[in-house]
Amino acid sequence: MTLTIAPVQKSVTVHASPEHAFKVFTEGFDTWWPRTHHIGSSPMKRAIIEGFVGGRCYSEQVDGRDCPWGEVTVWEPPRRLVFAWLISTDWKYEPDRAKASEVEVRFTPLADGTTRVDLEHRHFERCGGAGETMRDRVSAEGGWGSLLQLFGAAAERA
Amino acid sequence: MTNAHAQLEALGDPTRRAILEQLLSGPKPVGEIAKRFPVSRPAISQHLAVLKRAQLVADRAQGTRRVYQVNLQGIEAMRAYLDRFWHDALAAFKRAAEESHR
Repeated sequence: MTLTIAPVQKSVTVHASPEHAFKVFTEGFDTWWPRTHHIGSSPMKRAIIEGFVGGRCYSEQVDGRDCPWGEVTVWEPPRRLVFAWLISTDWKYEPDRAKASEVEVRFTPLADGTTRVDLEHRHFERCGGAGETMRDRVSAEGGWGSLLQLFGAAAERA
Repeated sequence: MTNAHAQLEALGDPTRRAILEQLLSGPKPVGEIAKRFPVSRPAISQHLAVLKRAQLVADRAQGTRRVYQVNLQGIEAMRAYLDRFWHDALAAFKRAAEESHR
C-alpha cells in the first residue's frame, strides 16, 4: 500500500535565459529567499545552496551557527535541480532523507527567449515517517486494532 | 463529543473501516470508492460524511469530482503552508532574476 499526498506544483516565467535563472536560483539564493521562512534558533543572516550533488542547503544565523534544512541530490545546471527538504511536519531539521520531502526545479527555455521555471515539492507522505508508520502498522500488524491505536494516538496529540 | 470519541464511533462501522482502508492506498473520488462496495452511492457519501466529521478523512474538489483522502493533519497543514509559500517565493525569485538581468 502506498499513501501519496498531492505534490505542490508552481510555475513562473522569467524574462531571462535558463543560465541566468538557474544562477539566480542557486548562487543568488540569498537575494530572493523569503526571510520569513526559517526554522533556526536565531534570525537568518544568509541563505545558501551549495552548487554540487551532496551540497548543503542552509542558513547562516545571526548567532553564528548554521541551520541546515536541505541537501542537493541532482545538480544539472542550467536545466534541473533537486534538493531534499529536510524539514519535518513540526518544522524541525530532519536529517533522515527517507523521512523528508523533496523539491525539483526545472528551467526550460521558451521560444521567446524567456525561461519557464517549474517547481514541484513532493513526497510529503514521507514526512516524519507519518505515511510510512501508517502503512507499516496497517500492513504488518494487519488488524484494525492497530489502526485504531494510531488514530487514537493522533487524536490525543491533537 | 471529543474527537477521539467521534473517531471511535466512526470506526465502529465495518463499511467505514473498509472505506478508510481503501483510502490508505491513495486519494479517491466518491464514485471510485462507491464502485468497490455493494451499497448505494448516497450511503457511501453518508459514511464519508461521518468519517469527515471525525476528521479521519478530508475532501477537496477536483474539477466536478469530490476527492477523499486520509486526513494526515500535520502533513496537510504543512502542504497548505508550502503551497502559498512557494507561490510567494517564486514571485520573489522572478523579481530577483529579472532585475539582475537588466
